[in-house]
Amino acid sequence: MKAYSRWTISHKLALLALVLGVFALLGTAEKSGTVQLDTQELARIVEGEVDHVDVEELADWIVQGRSDYRLLDVRASEEYARYHIPTAENVRLVELRDYPLYRNEKIVIYSDGGIHAAQAWFLLQAHGYVSSYILLGGLELWKDEVLFPALAEGADASARAAFEKRRSVSAFFGGQPRTGAAAEVERYTVPVPKLESVPNVAVPKRSRKQKEGC
Amino acid sequence: MTSVEEYAAGGRQPAPFMNPYLAGIGLGLVLLTAFVAVGRGLGASGAFSTLVASCVNALAPAHAEGNTFYEGYLHNGFGHPFKSFLVFEVAGVLIGGFLSGALAGRLKKVVERGPRIGVGGRLGLAFLGGALMGVGAKLARGCTSGQALSGGAVLALGSWAFMIMVFVGGYAMAYFVRRQWR
Amino acid sequence: MNAPFYKYGYFGDELYLIAAFAIGIAFGFFLERAGFGSAKKLTAQFYFTDMAVFKVMFSAIVTAMLGVFYLSWFGVVDLDLVFVNPTYLVPQMTGGLLLGMGFIIGGYCPGTSLVALSTGKVDALVFLAGIVAGIFVFGEAYPAIEGFASSTALGTVTLHEALGVSMGLVVFAVVLMAVLGFWGASVVERRLAEKAGGAV
Repeated sequence: MKAYSRWTISHKLALLALVLGVFALLGTAEKSGTVQLDTQELARIVEGEVDHVDVEELADWIVQGRSDYRLLDVRASEEYARYHIPTAENVRLVELRDYPLYRNEKIVIYSDGGIHAAQAWFLLQAHGYVSSYILLGGLELWKDEVLFPALAEGADASARAAFEKRRSVSAFFGGQPRTGAAAEVERYTVPVPKLESVPNVAVPKRSRKQKEGC
Repeated sequence: MTSVEEYAAGGRQPAPFMNPYLAGIGLGLVLLTAFVAVGRGLGASGAFSTLVASCVNALAPAHAEGNTFYEGYLHNGFGHPFKSFLVFEVAGVLIGGFLSGALAGRLKKVVERGPRIGVGGRLGLAFLGGALMGVGAKLARGCTSGQALSGGAVLALGSWAFMIMVFVGGYAMAYFVRRQWR
Repeated sequence: MNAPFYKYGYFGDELYLIAAFAIGIAFGFFLERAGFGSAKKLTAQFYFTDMAVFKVMFSAIVTAMLGVFYLSWFGVVDLDLVFVNPTYLVPQMTGGLLLGMGFIIGGYCPGTSLVALSTGKVDALVFLAGIVAGIFVFGEAYPAIEGFASSTALGTVTLHEALGVSMGLVVFAVVLMAVLGFWGASVVERRLAEKAGGAV
């Protein structure tokens, strides 16, 4: 072995690489399931009501064909197959941590009512996805307000105008508005049409995020 | 460009190549910058796929949209297929290569070949090699820049398998085309 | 500081494309610096006379790999947001074989052919035309071969995940293998140069 002073730059670089390689044995680079949480911050987000998105807002995004959001359906795959909101991706809670999501895009989560969505929201917030939101009301409210909007009997002019807009949105998603006597607002007394009756709708093609392969 | 004129006049010698390890480290740092800045590595073949898909789309749009392979590349960019990472990167590669060549006096219009083959033979084999490479790169979903370098650096299993097979293929075929190069 | 910057929203799509362009310039620059704008230098690898391809490629891989590993360890880079090429084992190995053959027959690979073109090599232009033709053939044949092209899809899997070891161990092994390879490559080059010198 030549004296160190006679080593060429290549030899020295090789030594540096080997040293770094040996140190690498001590390191860890993978993500673990253990996270650090600022619970006060999370509480503030919830109280400030900035943790959710309304069903009408989401419906507008889908109609406009926007591509700056991800919609996650955290129910079982059979339920997803029966009906899911257009552009939704089916992800189970256990798959969330490893699911490919960017931290700079909006992530909207929904389930039937909202409990699982809220739990998924918590998990994502814990892993640093600060732009994650719960779909307020979940699929239940999506049915009630977007797919099958109701217009009560004695509604005034502004309510009628709002209803007209919801009628066209509902038609877009393959739903049906409810009017007249059958449209009493109490959702527990009046049966809402089944989700299976909603046809598959073609939604405008969103420009996808960049493919990252070659 | 003075160096080109000098070289063409038989004057200046082209500069020697950089120490391969240093050049490799330079490349590695560029790759690392890509990982840190945008979270992806380098590539080249994808830009050509975009080009082919766009041409097919211009001539026969229905056919292109109906073909899963083309369709994937048509809807990839920010609004327009050419507004994609690889297309812009490849444009940069052309400029970077030219810059380095100009600085080193290595710009010359030439058909590179060994002493035992003619221009026609060399160009024919270049086309054939390119075609093989086009098919291989698409099967492997990348080429040496995208799969071997970038995938290799992040230790992707398929990329390493790919890399090994590239060397196997090259060495296996080397004997048969030795007249082209030596 | 959180990286990759783009995926944390530090900059938008326009800057993303500009970054791609700038990265490309640096990429092409170093490829040419290494002499990879020359088919004769590239193919010399496969005749053992000039092992620059191996040296450059693996120094680049080791540099980037160590960089990503250490930055991730120090919490600067979120490795989950760095793209890892998904594995389609059989198609990738088949593609690699074809690519290797195309490499020695054509004299370039896609990236280096661009650098060669930009420095005046006419054969690189023809090679690029060949690539375009090859991709077109692949595209047209795709409906028929889609099954094969998507076979043995193992998803996103890394060497350490496949072997069930820590990433650090694989990093160490790659560095060791590379350094040994560099030493071996120099030995081979020197022996062949001596043989050629002696035969004169």
